[in-house]
Amino acid sequence: MVGAGERVGLVGPSGAGKSTLLGLANGSVAPTAGSVEVLGHDLAALPPGRARRLRARVGTVHQHLELVGPLRVVHNVNAGRLGTWPAWRSAWSLLRPQGVPEAAAALAEVGLETRLHERTERLSGGQQQRVAVARVLVQRPELVLADEPASALDPVLTDRTMALLTGVAAERGGALVASLHDPALALRHCSRVVGLVDGRVALDAPAGSLSVADLTAFYAGEA
Amino acid sequence: MSAVVDRPATPVLRRSRARWAWGLGASVVVLWSLAGAGLFSGEVLNPAGARQLSRFAAGALAPDLSGDFRQVLLRGALVTVAYAALGTALAVLLGAVGAVALARTTWGRRRGGWLVARGVVAVPRGLHEVVWGLLLLNVLGLDPWVGVLAIGIPYGAVTAKVFADLLDEVPRGAHDALLAAGAGRGAAALYGLLPPAAGGLLAYSAYRLECAVRSAVVLGLIGAGGLGYELSLSFTSLRWEQVWSCVYALTLLCVAAVVAGRAVRRRLADPPAAAGDRPRRDLVLTGAGLTTAALVVWSWWYLAVTPAALLAERTRQQLSYLLAEALPPELSGSLLVSLGAAAVDTVQMSVIAVAVATAGAVLLAPVAARPARRARPVPWAAGVVVRLGLLLLRAVPPPVWALVLLFVLRPGILPGALALGVYTLGVLGRLTAEALEELEPRPAQALTALGARPAATWLYGVAPRAVGPVLAYALYRWEVAIRDTVMVGLLGAGGLGALLATSLQVFDWPAVTTTLVVLVLLTLAVDLVSDRARDVVR
Repeated sequence: MVGAGERVGLVGPSGAGKSTLLGLANGSVAPTAGSVEVLGHDLAALPPGRARRLRARVGTVHQHLELVGPLRVVHNVNAGRLGTWPAWRSAWSLLRPQGVPEAAAALAEVGLETRLHERTERLSGGQQQRVAVARVLVQRPELVLADEPASALDPVLTDRTMALLTGVAAERGGALVASLHDPALALRHCSRVVGLVDGRVALDAPAGSLSVADLTAFYAGEA
Repeated sequence: MSAVVDRPATPVLRRSRARWAWGLGASVVVLWSLAGAGLFSGEVLNPAGARQLSRFAAGALAPDLSGDFRQVLLRGALVTVAYAALGTALAVLLGAVGAVALARTTWGRRRGGWLVARGVVAVPRGLHEVVWGLLLLNVLGLDPWVGVLAIGIPYGAVTAKVFADLLDEVPRGAHDALLAAGAGRGAAALYGLLPPAAGGLLAYSAYRLECAVRSAVVLGLIGAGGLGYELSLSFTSLRWEQVWSCVYALTLLCVAAVVAGRAVRRRLADPPAAAGDRPRRDLVLTGAGLTTAALVVWSWWYLAVTPAALLAERTRQQLSYLLAEALPPELSGSLLVSLGAAAVDTVQMSVIAVAVATAGAVLLAPVAARPARRARPVPWAAGVVVRLGLLLLRAVPPPVWALVLLFVLRPGILPGALALGVYTLGVLGRLTAEALEELEPRPAQALTALGARPAATWLYGVAPRAVGPVLAYALYRWEVAIRDTVMVGLLGAGGLGALLATSLQVFDWPAVTTTLVVLVLLTLAVDLVSDRARDVVR
């Protein structure tokens, strides 16, 4: 249960189910048992049209980014608006890019504004990660999900990216759920830390009550 | 990064000039070809033939399955398989010998010799099997060697080139180490080059056997016997129900060839782990090898091929007579003018064929591609129907499609071009569907997860990644199509093939030589253009 305005850091050893949990929340993984409620609705129970509009209110930075390599950066950023754009505008934008000021502003936030028209696959891993963040920025979702959103970034960029993601979630009064492998980062940017082990919640505490040593111990399997 | 954050200037969109130029050029060429086929001017339709076409189509549901005709079909299939097997065996033999002459390893730094060897091989490769068949018919008369050599010679040239490339791609380390240790060049190649390349060589041979089945059918159409011959007999006697039985038999044969070939190639690409420490042979591959060897021996016996026919006095006389007649080539102005016009027709036919096939493949492939997840019943059924349809399109040889189209189209290059297009669609549709199946599904799923409509998901997540491979396939099929136009041309659809057929009928050998030279030059030119274009779409 994640409430509005919360910033949840998801921690746990690899294979614990962090990515699966985020996939359940954005609807790309279907629950095998039970149900998932997102923004007050059960995604699996909604008719396709309403489910699609609900998904447009959930933004995700995927662990493997899932950008489209041969497309220019501007189109990958604009992909964040495909849930709200009418079909004709999505199609036309591929010929004559739409919403360029917003896309350029989002790219400027992550420091990539000079790469607007570059082919995305020519960018480095860290730059591509920032394009994925920019895609969520223009989507302006109410719930932001992020799977290791800063794994390929240097410390300064990491903090900036986390601040941007918390900012975009706060703008719409929504929540951020981010899986993070760095305990210090989780404590610095999250209001609450949830630890998973073998798909179960093994830790759930306000970030203020935890120390880096606690989380390191948790990773080592001692919690 | 803080240094660049404050710079507000938005970069200007710069489009790739090379791509736009090639795209524009391609559109112009397609329009020019369609205009050349008379699509924008004169009448192309022949409405009077619609009833004949519907009678032909009705035959699809009532094929002739009587005991007598089943016998005919079985015998025809055996002949076709025999030609394919012997032709491929010859091609692999020629390929193995030729590969040595074409490999960079053989020539080392003597680039000149290597280039000459490559150039020599381009000639047999540039001529279609049917052309070889007609030429050999004039040398050997009605002998089973005609069919075997007509497949073996052009296939041997292609196989030699591919084998040489495969050998050249093997990492050199082991080979050079053997040479340095004092091994002879032959031994070094045997131990250092052949083992790593063996899988690729065998896989390509299996693929050639699949292709040879199709070629044997086409050779049947010009009289070599087998299923193609039965098909043309039934067609000319307007026995539609028999035509359809032949078509179904062909489809089964092609499916069997592809399934067997693919099984062997999969096994080679992904061999099972060895169990225990004793060296064990892969039973499947050993079985396939023995079966193939038995098939070749049986084919030799079944077709009653004898080396004596090749060495006969009459053959030698005929060959020297033809060579004396054919040289020097005719270079009269009127012939060159008609050759030029025919070359234009040939290019236009191939362009229309590939344009039609590409458009159709792009429309059909999304339906034909097997989805990554389990599909609902309706899309699943649609996928099966489209896949079967594409299979039928590529199982029937283009000349037969041309005859069918001539029911409703006026004679000219359009029926030939469309026939080739229909056949190419069968091939290209499958290739495009496979390209879609091979795409990583997650970027598109990520777009669905953020609420994109299915159409937008396809436009942003699938199309941009598929367009490169699909265009590369289309260009490659263009190289094949320019050779295949000769095959429909020989049956009267126009172009260089029609010109060749006329010259052959009146035994005008000097004109035949000139036509063959133009044909080879044209295929080389198309190969060159297609190669350049593929670099751009990549």
